[in-house]
Amino acid sequence: MTTTTAEPASLTLENLRKTYVARGREPFEAVKGMDLKIRPGELIALLGPSGCGKTTTLRMIAGLETVTAGNIKIGDRVVQDLPPGKRDIGVGFESYALYPPLSVRENLAYGLKARGVKGAREMVGRIAERLEMTELLELRPASLSSGQKQRVALARALIRNPRVLLLDEPLSHLDAAQRQRVRRELKVLQREFGYTTIVVTHDQLEALSLADRMAVMNAGVVEQFGTPDEIYDNPANVFVADFVGEPKINLFEGTVERRGGDVHVRVGREGTLRTAVGDADDGRPVTVGLRPQDARPAADDEAGVPAEVAVYEDFMEFGLATVEVAGVDGRIVVQTPHGVHWRRGDIRRIAARPDRVYLFDTDSGGRIR
Amino acid sequence: MATEIKPGRKRLTLGSVGADLLLVFWFVFSLFPIAWMVLLALKTDTEQTTTYFAFSPTFDNFGTVMSQRGTDLTSVDFAGALVSSVLNCGGAVLVSLLIGIPAAYAAGRWKYRGSEDLMFQMLSFRFAPELMVVVPLFVIYNQTGLFDTTYGMIWVLQLVTMPLVVWILRSYFQDLSAELEQAALLDGYTRRRAFVMVALPLVRPGIAAAALLAFIFAWNNYVFPLILTDSNATTVTVAVTKFLGGGGQAYYNLTAAAALIGALPPLLLALTIQRYLVRGLSFGAVKA
Ligand SMILES: Nc1ncnc2c1ncn2[C@@H]1O[C@H](COP(=O)(O)OP(=O)(O)OP(=O)(O)O)[C@@H](O)[C@H]1O
Ligand SMILES: [Mg+2]
Repeated sequence: MTTTTAEPASLTLENLRKTYVARGREPFEAVKGMDLKIRPGELIALLGPSGCGKTTTLRMIAGLETVTAGNIKIGDRVVQDLPPGKRDIGVGFESYALYPPLSVRENLAYGLKARGVKGAREMVGRIAERLEMTELLELRPASLSSGQKQRVALARALIRNPRVLLLDEPLSHLDAAQRQRVRRELKVLQREFGYTTIVVTHDQLEALSLADRMAVMNAGVVEQFGTPDEIYDNPANVFVADFVGEPKINLFEGTVERRGGDVHVRVGREGTLRTAVGDADDGRPVTVGLRPQDARPAADDEAGVPAEVAVYEDFMEFGLATVEVAGVDGRIVVQTPHGVHWRRGDIRRIAARPDRVYLFDTDSGGRIR
Repeated sequence: MATEIKPGRKRLTLGSVGADLLLVFWFVFSLFPIAWMVLLALKTDTEQTTTYFAFSPTFDNFGTVMSQRGTDLTSVDFAGALVSSVLNCGGAVLVSLLIGIPAAYAAGRWKYRGSEDLMFQMLSFRFAPELMVVVPLFVIYNQTGLFDTTYGMIWVLQLVTMPLVVWILRSYFQDLSAELEQAALLDGYTRRRAFVMVALPLVRPGIAAAALLAFIFAWNNYVFPLILTDSNATTVTVAVTKFLGGGGQAYYNLTAAAALIGALPPLLLALTIQRYLVRGLSFGAVKA
């Protein structure tokens, strides 16, 4: 927080791998060849289900876990063989890692003292103010709530003004209001000081709102790396489509039907949807992805899928209709805009903009474009 | 609406009264030998075999035990034994801590090939009856000149204390979040400094507990000093029994007095480090 703002640095992961070898068990590949090029000052969200290797990746970058194969570069410097203290990385730990005998103030100053930084007191005061925790400074960690501990852990990661900032679920224990505030403050601080940042999260709203770009991980691989818009509008495969988006995307079976220049997909017994996909042979079985937000009533002269409303939930700002389609296993959810009210038993014809009807290969789950 | 909870009130039921009575009974029962010993230590030679509770108490026995007069009676230098007991046990505990703390840390932090076997092996030192190993040790000690020396006693008592220290402290280190040290590593500390500055202070209560237990175990050991020492490095446990006569006259009152004096050092140690033992309880919270 002083004038010594570090020059933002890029962070590059090249074919990064981690295999855990425990005695008496099969070696376990937690990270299977990650490639990420993170630009200087960029904020990346690492999003994925539990156990997919997010924490392992962060720990390798920080130097707390050995690298099985691959390279980690900060700027042009290859860092995977440097000790953690020489990498200039700040880490916010999932378990906070606050030192119990010391007050919050001492905890924050601890790392500064280790490096002999001058003016530690002022820096502590300033960061505490930014993160709304001045009144916590004299307390011991044991008397803090988990949300407060989390903010202290965040402050401690920020205070050293590192070139790269790694945060493991930094907001998970905050309540909804605090989460929004701290999320914004985090983004402001990150912009201001240009830390190249990776934020690990389960929460896709957090990822979508915070990140410049996000990496969606699954079982040790990055399924897609791109801006939130790209991830949301152009999912690379079924996993990404399914994981990102609230309410969840509808996935159901269909068959490609070419009619002249147009490509349709047959859904259930009587329905068809027009899609913008170009590269699909007639008669190919596919998995169709349709977001609830994209589904809408079909125009009279438009292809559509007849459906019967089974449940309708009205949330005022929008409604959610769960509909049944003859010949389709499972139900399809359609989001209706404010002021539109469907009823149970209504028969509707559903359609969507052609470029919003995604097709995926039934076996590999890859996107058909 | 809400039921009020009155602090410090317990409902008297037949069950709770019965439990309390049982506790009182157990308390009296377990304290009785100690009370008896205190009484015995205060009796004169002529009264020592009586069972009266009413007698004129004397503190002379303590003086006798600690002085030349006791040595003349039984040919054992009890004060000297007290000193060598402190040296033996203190030495054994010190050695166990110096080697045992790093060992416990390594065992608690890392799994490596054979780490569990090693820990088990260390514990297995305690399986064999001491009497079984003491005879070969006696032969070895005689030939190497360790017989009846402080070094010899420290080495053999360390066999008793080391497994205790390592096993107790390992679980303390296991409970300590490794991320605390890792945060220190990121702050630029070396591994060793992170261990000394971060991990070690947090397990201080564990060290205090382990040291105290180890000291008590070493202090109470009887077989090793009985066989491996003579007059030079002999310990309180062996010296106390000398007052029972061994052929000559038995001084029960002096035996009791000596035993009471012999119980003091562990007690004093426990009282001195109690502070650390209790403070450990309030530190626990690393997570939530
Ligand atoms: N030290 C270890 N030894 C063996 N396996 C491990 C070790 N650490 C992690 N794993 C395994 O590696 C996988 C990835 O773990 P990791 O902690 O990176 O997941 P994560 O994505 O952070 O999950 P979460 O969202 O639950 O925090 C998990 O299956 C985990 O069981
Ligand atoms: Mg994790």
